[in-house]
Amino acid sequence: MSTAPLPLPLDGVRVLDLGQFIAMPFCALWLAWLGAEVIVVESRRRMTSRTAPPFVPGMEGNPDASGYFNQICSTKKSCTLDMTIAAGRDVVRRLAGKVDVMIDNYSTGVLEKLGLGYDMVGKLNPALIMVSCGAFGRSGPMKNARGLHSAVNLFSGVADVTGYVDGEPRILGGVLPDPLSGTYGMFAIMAALHHRSRTGQGQFVDLAMYESMMTLIPEAVIDLTLNDADPQRAGNRDRQKAPHGIYPCRETDTWVAISVEDSRDWNAFCQAAGHVEWLGDARFGDVESRLAHVAALDAAVESWTRQVSVGEAVDKLQAVGVAAGPVLRCDELLDDAQLQANGSVVTIDHPTAGPHRQLGLPWRMDSLGVEYRRAPLLGEHTHEILTGLLGIDEAEYARLEADGVLS
Amino acid sequence: MAVASQLSAAGPLAGLSVVELGDGTAGPYAAKLLGDFGAEVVKVEGPDGDSTRRRGPFPDGRPDPEASGLFLYLNINKRGIVLDIDGERGQRALDRLLADADVFITNLPAERLKTACVAPAALRARHPRLIVTTISPFGTDGPWAERRGDELVTYAMGGIAYSTPGMPDAANDLEREPPLHPTCFAAETITGLVAGLATLTAVLGRARTNDGCHLEISQQAAVASMQHRDISTYSYWGGTYNRLLNPTTIGRMPNFYLPCRDGYVTIPAPMDLHWERLVEAMGEPAWARTPAFSDGPARTDNWIELRMRLIDWTMTLSGDELYGLANQTQLPIFQFYPVRKLVESEQVRERGSVVDIDVGNRRAQMPGAPFMMRATPWSLRRPAPRLGEHTAAVLGDRTGAPA
Repeated sequence: MSTAPLPLPLDGVRVLDLGQFIAMPFCALWLAWLGAEVIVVESRRRMTSRTAPPFVPGMEGNPDASGYFNQICSTKKSCTLDMTIAAGRDVVRRLAGKVDVMIDNYSTGVLEKLGLGYDMVGKLNPALIMVSCGAFGRSGPMKNARGLHSAVNLFSGVADVTGYVDGEPRILGGVLPDPLSGTYGMFAIMAALHHRSRTGQGQFVDLAMYESMMTLIPEAVIDLTLNDADPQRAGNRDRQKAPHGIYPCRETDTWVAISVEDSRDWNAFCQAAGHVEWLGDARFGDVESRLAHVAALDAAVESWTRQVSVGEAVDKLQAVGVAAGPVLRCDELLDDAQLQANGSVVTIDHPTAGPHRQLGLPWRMDSLGVEYRRAPLLGEHTHEILTGLLGIDEAEYARLEADGVLS
Repeated sequence: MAVASQLSAAGPLAGLSVVELGDGTAGPYAAKLLGDFGAEVVKVEGPDGDSTRRRGPFPDGRPDPEASGLFLYLNINKRGIVLDIDGERGQRALDRLLADADVFITNLPAERLKTACVAPAALRARHPRLIVTTISPFGTDGPWAERRGDELVTYAMGGIAYSTPGMPDAANDLEREPPLHPTCFAAETITGLVAGLATLTAVLGRARTNDGCHLEISQQAAVASMQHRDISTYSYWGGTYNRLLNPTTIGRMPNFYLPCRDGYVTIPAPMDLHWERLVEAMGEPAWARTPAFSDGPARTDNWIELRMRLIDWTMTLSGDELYGLANQTQLPIFQFYPVRKLVESEQVRERGSVVDIDVGNRRAQMPGAPFMMRATPWSLRRPAPRLGEHTAAVLGDRTGAPA
């Protein structure tokens, strides 16, 4: 049984991906899945993610076997060009004239020095949309400062609202500033494409990773500037709900998240936990009392969760309509029945690395399509892009190749 | 007070018409992003108003549904109407709005949508060009479709909580330091962004197909999608980071998050080049030249002692002093900024990362544009609506008669 594939929403959009590490390559990843033709410019002389782990065991160092590259460059095309030589930069400039979108997250000023900054390519291609991303953005006194994800966590204020009760500021797991700023970059591109479709006008977008992270903490920024109130780190507690936390279960390092919203929930919680006596405890009578005695409350909840498995705690609470769920590890996400049921887990085969699973788009569409294809081999599309898109003839291609421009 | 006709169309999304039936952060934030960049957003609230009106922060902590900082932030650049969507009249008014709209965004439960006669399938049938964006905790299929989830639960099931504190920070004790959720609406904000993005991709797609679309967003999946790197690691290698600091998970040493005299700093110096710069910055202490720290493998083997030695040094200096040294020596040391220091920093001021907002009758500040679009800037065109502020105007606009 076959059905006509659904139209891809970004069919016809062409993207030049000069992204490094995660933030901007992630931005172009979803665009590729949604139908954009994404061209990754890379060089054998200066590889980043292709030389980084995780590799398929036994294939360490093989540039076509890096999970880092293969997962973040799924569905993209690879064009090898040496930007350290003038002829290589010239080809990149010609590509910039043929694409709708160009993205980069080099250190501030690097592209300008190469003659590939928006000041140059924007003149060549006024319809071009360029998103340029830095830890601290492309303006301001810190624009040249280097920032890893941890620095962005520490600067953005997110660390100030992350920590155990009265404890030190903590750094989030994963590398959230990278994919989050990549997602804001996608939003900017969509908005700019919409604008361009009506005006023909392209533009430059200055994306700062710390500003992406600041969107997570409006309450803290407003409370400080409104009431002169500094954030109080509160573990997993909430100022309006109790109990609200992540509690240990019977097996080592297993945890359940529980969020009790109102008195109906609290009643249901006590019944499900088999502790109806808590309903008569004056300290826990209403939400104000529970918030006032939150340490005792959390200890009581923990005394129950420690006796049961995560699955048992979750099933009992959900059965009575209380919000609860397991704290999932990253290795459990791909096996999670719920993510699988909603089509979020995809398997992509690769001629060198073999089939591997990853998470696809976190949404579903009923009238538009999405396409998950393998990552390109190193330089797989160089010839196609130069002779096709740029119209370079075979003789010139051979010359460029001989001159080392295409390595 | 400005009225619609006096406001110039501004932003890349000018002309796009959005109806939001949202509550909390996820749905309202998706619509806010569209509104911030120029879309005309009508926010539909029930007679009690969005629950965020009761969240605050309020001036001096005194609850006031018209002075909740978070509500005022999440709902700028929108007009607001009140409809009783449990009643037939409210439902008719909502449907008339949707007949003229490009986009409908909601994060209300599926049951509520059904009783309000705006279930996605029915809407798609009645208004074929409408883009219908629905947000639910876990998606509408699968074993969790009917289960309850909120900010905390969806975040926990999205993978980030387990690995927090995260590298180069770490837990000292897995049992006493549980997985952490930041005290903010992280999962809902991520989901709102994803929903806004998904909506715009469908707007672009519709230009070609002339057909609307139902976009179904799972909050759990949105959070999980941000764990791209850690998932790649598992998918190719197996195993996962468990919050404990050790060279297997964190790689070469030193790469630490340490206390200093007045705060906290990260000290990443995993390569020989960085280590040499760090030793120079420390003033060439004798211990750094002993065999225990002479090369990368030795430093990694002796990372616990190395960490203690570095703390002895960092505790003698302030965060500003360490950051200054880092800039001199080109080491990527970075210090912790409390929100207060962030808001007062030159970087934030010069870029306009925070902008003024009136909360009650007091001036405060909120995060501004999430990115800077040079040709079509972010703009604050109108403050968040008072409850029902535009009911008569909007329903009159669209139908020629008040509801």
